[in-house]
Amino acid sequence: MSSTTASVRSLYVHVPFCAHKCEYCAFYSEASSGELINRYVGALERELELVAGTLRPQTIFFGGGTPSILNLKQWHQLLHTMDRLNLLGAAEWTVECNPATVSLDKAKLLRDFGVNRISMGVQSLDERLLERLGRIHSREQVFKSFDTLRAAGFENINVDLMFAIPTQTMEIWHATLNEAFALQSEHLSCYEVIYEQDTPLFAQLKAGEFDVDEDLAYDMYETLIDRCEQSGFFHYEVANFARRAGAGRAAPRPVLSDPEIPDFACRHNVNYWRGGDYHGLGPSATAYIGGLRTRNWSNTPLYCEQLEKGKRPFETREELPPLQRAGEIAAFGLRMTAGWPFEEFQKASGFDLRSEWAGQMSELVNKGWAEESPVRFRLNRQGLRFADSAAEMFLR
Amino acid sequence: MDAAHIRNFSIIAHIDHGKTTLSDRLLHITGTIATRDMEDQLLDAMDLERERGITIKAHPVTMLYKAKNGETYELNLIDTPGHVDFAYEVSRSLSACEGALLVIDAAQGVEAQTVANYHLASKQNLLIIPVINKIDLPHANVTLAKQQLEDVLAVPSEWAIPCSAKEGIGIVDILEAIVERVPPPKPTGEPSLQALAFDSYFDTYKGVVTHIRVFNGEIRPGMMVKLLHSGKSYEVKEVGSFNPKPYTREKLETGETGYITANIKSPSDVKMGDTITDARNPSAELPGFKEIHPMVFSGIYPINTADYEALKSSMGKLKLNDSAFAYSSETSVALGFGFRCGFLGLLHLEIVQERLRREYNMDIIATYPSVVYKIHLTDGTMKEVDNPAFMPEVTYIERIEEPMVKTFVICPNENIGDMMALIAEKRGQVDHTETLDARRVMLSALVPLNEILIDFHDRIKSITRGFGSMDYEPSGYADSDMVKLDMLVNGEPMDAFSCIVHRSKAEGRGRALAEKLKEVIPRQQFAVKIQAAIGGKIVASETVSAFRKDVTAKCYGGDISRKRKLLEKQKEGKKRMKSIGSVNIPQEAFIEVLKA
Repeated sequence: MSSTTASVRSLYVHVPFCAHKCEYCAFYSEASSGELINRYVGALERELELVAGTLRPQTIFFGGGTPSILNLKQWHQLLHTMDRLNLLGAAEWTVECNPATVSLDKAKLLRDFGVNRISMGVQSLDERLLERLGRIHSREQVFKSFDTLRAAGFENINVDLMFAIPTQTMEIWHATLNEAFALQSEHLSCYEVIYEQDTPLFAQLKAGEFDVDEDLAYDMYETLIDRCEQSGFFHYEVANFARRAGAGRAAPRPVLSDPEIPDFACRHNVNYWRGGDYHGLGPSATAYIGGLRTRNWSNTPLYCEQLEKGKRPFETREELPPLQRAGEIAAFGLRMTAGWPFEEFQKASGFDLRSEWAGQMSELVNKGWAEESPVRFRLNRQGLRFADSAAEMFLR
Repeated sequence: MDAAHIRNFSIIAHIDHGKTTLSDRLLHITGTIATRDMEDQLLDAMDLERERGITIKAHPVTMLYKAKNGETYELNLIDTPGHVDFAYEVSRSLSACEGALLVIDAAQGVEAQTVANYHLASKQNLLIIPVINKIDLPHANVTLAKQQLEDVLAVPSEWAIPCSAKEGIGIVDILEAIVERVPPPKPTGEPSLQALAFDSYFDTYKGVVTHIRVFNGEIRPGMMVKLLHSGKSYEVKEVGSFNPKPYTREKLETGETGYITANIKSPSDVKMGDTITDARNPSAELPGFKEIHPMVFSGIYPINTADYEALKSSMGKLKLNDSAFAYSSETSVALGFGFRCGFLGLLHLEIVQERLRREYNMDIIATYPSVVYKIHLTDGTMKEVDNPAFMPEVTYIERIEEPMVKTFVICPNENIGDMMALIAEKRGQVDHTETLDARRVMLSALVPLNEILIDFHDRIKSITRGFGSMDYEPSGYADSDMVKLDMLVNGEPMDAFSCIVHRSKAEGRGRALAEKLKEVIPRQQFAVKIQAAIGGKIVASETVSAFRKDVTAKCYGGDISRKRKLLEKQKEGKKRMKSIGSVNIPQEAFIEVLKA
């Protein structure tokens, strides 16, 4: 399949800078400032120019790192370039923000150029745990930033939370959820702490500084699901919860084609789980277009150097044979509570889930992990807890 | 050479008391080898043997010695395996001799193996020449060593010859003593050839090379000979001796030692201790022949399943030069395809495993060793069982007998208490305690063979900080309350961990195994119960709790590829797992527990 003629509708941009690297974070980012950020912005503009011809973004996601660390001038430059390349106007445009780096000026600037969704890396609302995680913001800054964003006109805000943080108790988790719900955000992402290799948190675990209480982590996850449902959040992916339109909230446009996915679900992420194409720009970013997966260099100077020479900064390429690719699409789509509408799967992969994976589907149904209707196959609440075990069965 | 000028002898000693150095010195002084060759001419062939300070096998060496009386003698040094694991092989080698040098380290005195070897030699009615070696050492105490000879072994101390093989002191005295004291061989008076086959090795070109001692008549190339126990006849192709390299001779006569080849293809056709005689005019067999039976059994499995064929071929090659090693294929649910192997004893088991690892580069794992139990059934029959898998149902068993050994443990005085406790823990009974000198005692005890298989020797070494020594000899069978211990995972037995143990030990062992298994069995989507059972009775139980979730918290576009690869790897890993009941267990888990 050729990537040059197709029009890609999703764009991810990685901003590999942070004010401070968190204890748990394994993403490619570095605490850096000044010249390198300027050089990065310049390189990113080159990269945008290289892909603009094949890109008509319906969803854009600026992740990191900390995209909000770019200063007003740098944002200005970047947004103007996007305007020049005719890349504005996405139906959903998310920028990740750290509560410590949100100013009203910056928020307004983003909103003016069409950013309409903010993902706030809150992680916890407990001072002691924020410190434990190495976050630079305080709980007060969360509430203040949230108000700032609302004041700047953002009507779709996500709050990122973490649970099963070492020393976090169930009481602390309940308190954090109480306060998070009180914010009245449209979206909530909640992740159990992952101990990724090469992070300080992993090293501390290995050194025996704390134990992982699996039962508590499990109970926290169950509590989360129950309480989200009671608070009007619809559980639509393993770690993601979103509101439906109504009660003064208008549904973002265009309306989602699958009625099982809540209106305020992150469309950009849904595209990942449903095997859609996307461009990925910036150091370490992954793109997936026409079955070809590429990954940029996870090294900012090297990334810049390549682009300054006019080259795409690919570090790796991966292209799977059709069935293997379909297996991957099937596996990751099951992370969503909506599962796979058979028709949708056929469109995304070219295969029929019912004929190719009939055995796995009935095995999962018999296990009490999944349900099948005439139009779709999905994991139930129990099955979702074992989404990786289920995913493994679908890989070919 | 006429029999009056032949002397056949061997050297017996405790580990490191200087047997090899003395052998080399004798070869050197008789001009059999030059000094410059000495480094490569050490009698010990294998690395492993040199490392452990023991000789498993060596060729008999023929030396010519011009004695002080002006006559030249043919001295045949017949090496013995030096460990009672190979008691039968030792006894065959010793029976080829008329005398033995009993080497004692002047600084160490009599040790456990000295005692065991002395017993074997005196059973063969050999003339013993005690040699007190290493007299050059600062801690040498010749008087004490002589005292121990009298007290422990009842050997007159005036027989002893002080020497230093390292410094070349006393070597001529030893050679003279061999000539003067060791009786010359006497013909048996039978009508024809009688030769003892006491060892053999396999040569790719010549086939089996058999070490023989001629007791009567003579043997030459072209002769038709018969092996009385195997019943097969062969034409002798080559006759020779070793110096220490093989050289051909016209013939071997009464009293002489050497080798023959006869186009024998299979080492199993030459039984140790068999009598070789003239096929046309046979003589009677020589006394002392026994079929050798393995005493210790263990399963040996390739760690990598694909290595099964390679392991099979390695074992075949190994058996060519170790006819006492027995093996047959078996399968285990946990470990796949492997072999049930029989060994003469614990050292033999270790040696075979080490040789498979080092010489054949095999990655192997061995199951818990077992001895041969005599199971008397209610119907009056008796069944020998060396594999827990073949243990009859309890209801059919009237009683069980287990093999016993007589052990000699020599230890410093201050360790007597701990040593007695260890022997009691091992279900042994001390029947004799003897003071060796001011600082050491020797304990003789009757202990079940099964108990000394695992860590007896190591424990003695650790209790005595290396100063203790141990040896043993078989001592028949005794009634014992043995039970079969099974390890179950969700009710299904894991065959690799079944074992036959004494009832008093079963619960403890079951508990220890269950705890170890709990650590290595991966969590499943359901709880896994690990149990130790004797008959139907559960004696220990552990639970591996179910994992309650298996899901990556965070997974977006950039994570998919890495996550997919991880899941693929897991899927591959599960394919290689052994499934016992519905529980998937990686083979590595079994191996880890067996290694512990």
